[in-house]
Amino acid sequence: MTPREGSEPSRKAGLRWRSVASVLLLLAIWEAAARAHIAPPILLPAFSVVAVALARVIADGTLPADLVLSLYRAFVGLDLAGASGILIGMLMARNRAVRWLMDPLVALGFPSPKIAFLPVFVLWFGIESLSKILLVAFACVLPIIIGTFNAARAVNRVLLWSAFSLGTTHQALLVRVVLPACYPRIFATLRIALPVALITTFTAEMVAGGGGMGATLVYSQRFFESPTVFAYILVMLGIGLVLDAGVRAFQHRYLAWAEG
Amino acid sequence: MHAEQLTRALIRIAPLVLIVVLWETATLGGLVNTAFLPSPVMVFVALADLLNGGEISKNLFITLFRAGMGLALGAISGVWLGLMMARSTKFRAWVAPIVGGTYSLPKSALIPLFALWFGIGNITAICAVYLACLLPMIVNTFQGVISTPKVLVWSAQTLGTGERQMLTKIYLRHALPDILTGLRIALGFSFVLAISSEMIASTSGIGKLVFLYGENGAYDYMFASIACVVIIAFMCDRAMVALSDWYLRWHESAEKGDAA
Repeated sequence: MTPREGSEPSRKAGLRWRSVASVLLLLAIWEAAARAHIAPPILLPAFSVVAVALARVIADGTLPADLVLSLYRAFVGLDLAGASGILIGMLMARNRAVRWLMDPLVALGFPSPKIAFLPVFVLWFGIESLSKILLVAFACVLPIIIGTFNAARAVNRVLLWSAFSLGTTHQALLVRVVLPACYPRIFATLRIALPVALITTFTAEMVAGGGGMGATLVYSQRFFESPTVFAYILVMLGIGLVLDAGVRAFQHRYLAWAEG
Repeated sequence: MHAEQLTRALIRIAPLVLIVVLWETATLGGLVNTAFLPSPVMVFVALADLLNGGEISKNLFITLFRAGMGLALGAISGVWLGLMMARSTKFRAWVAPIVGGTYSLPKSALIPLFALWFGIGNITAICAVYLACLLPMIVNTFQGVISTPKVLVWSAQTLGTGERQMLTKIYLRHALPDILTGLRIALGFSFVLAISSEMIASTSGIGKLVFLYGENGAYDYMFASIACVVIIAFMCDRAMVALSDWYLRWHESAEKGDAA
């Protein structure tokens, strides 16, 4: 049962080869199943057909335009949530009145499915980008508040005492000691919030329209343009992977000092 | 002791009461247009009407059924897959890239695809919930099992524990805290996905109800149904936390006494 102790690089190469093979195998099964007409092509278009559809939507500019719009909504929403969430979390950790005020709201809001509020946001802010950005911010802000709060509460007391004894003022303490000490944990929280931002954007677009990846995906499904549906889902999968890899690289590059 | 607990609870929820009172006075003072934000009294009246009429309980039951089915199936297969991945390097090499790839895919993107395959209704919603719950269960179970201390494994083996018993008595038991963490995440996802898929592709359920009230301009009813969703999600989450605490009362994390 114990893993055999091969030489480390060759074992890694072996695992990587298998990983690539499993993805290729999956694609091959998909292609073969579609070619064998296991299901009508409208339900399961072949991978090659999907690839052609993907090339088409990229070439005619619909996919790039949708992608930019969706990413814009997701990132502006995430930025708003980050700025306000870190501020609120910090204040909650340092100020008792703010904690008293925010605690029941956060406790109630955190487990609630934020997407249920979509009709409210549409009612208040219309069906264009604003309602989606604010819903994304609303969905992302609660985990960020909780993450920042926990991070700020867990700051090593010795750091605070040292700063005080060296004459740091209260305001400077927050900005120059507490906040930097929280960076790694806040960043971990942002990493959790990033997929939430993407999911919320796509779902809001699917439900409320107003352009973007989600809206086009749902329209294509309604008109039974299955290859486009699959192409858009593949692109969404790709975005998730690329962003996660990017965040991990960033963490490795700038926050390596906090690792173990 | 009892009175003290009560006062503390009252102090805790006081901000919520304060906000409702402020909201009501703002509406009475004409500061808020009730066409955009119905007053709390209007929402309470609508809520009472909904609860009397049975419309909300019927749709709520449908949503809870979809979320619960998807969650249960996702949890069972997620624990099994996570356990297999942790115990067999070969299985992991084949499955890990697929799990890693779909982990960052926004699961709601698959709702149009499921709608294409299974039509609108229960199966589409359950499939979406299932996939969303599956991944956190796999990842958490995997983490819990793979981190089992060798000493525990060796001790059990020396004492003659069989292969099958090792799985349930050692590996899964050690992973229990992680599995329950995964279950809490999955619980949150199950609500989000059930409601999203109802908004996108369904004719029933609380998500559709909220959406319909929004489209018909019955905003007091819309807010009342959203309030129901928030309260139910909050209570389920609390129940989950209480259940985990009870299950893990033997575990060292229980000593810290500070959850959430």
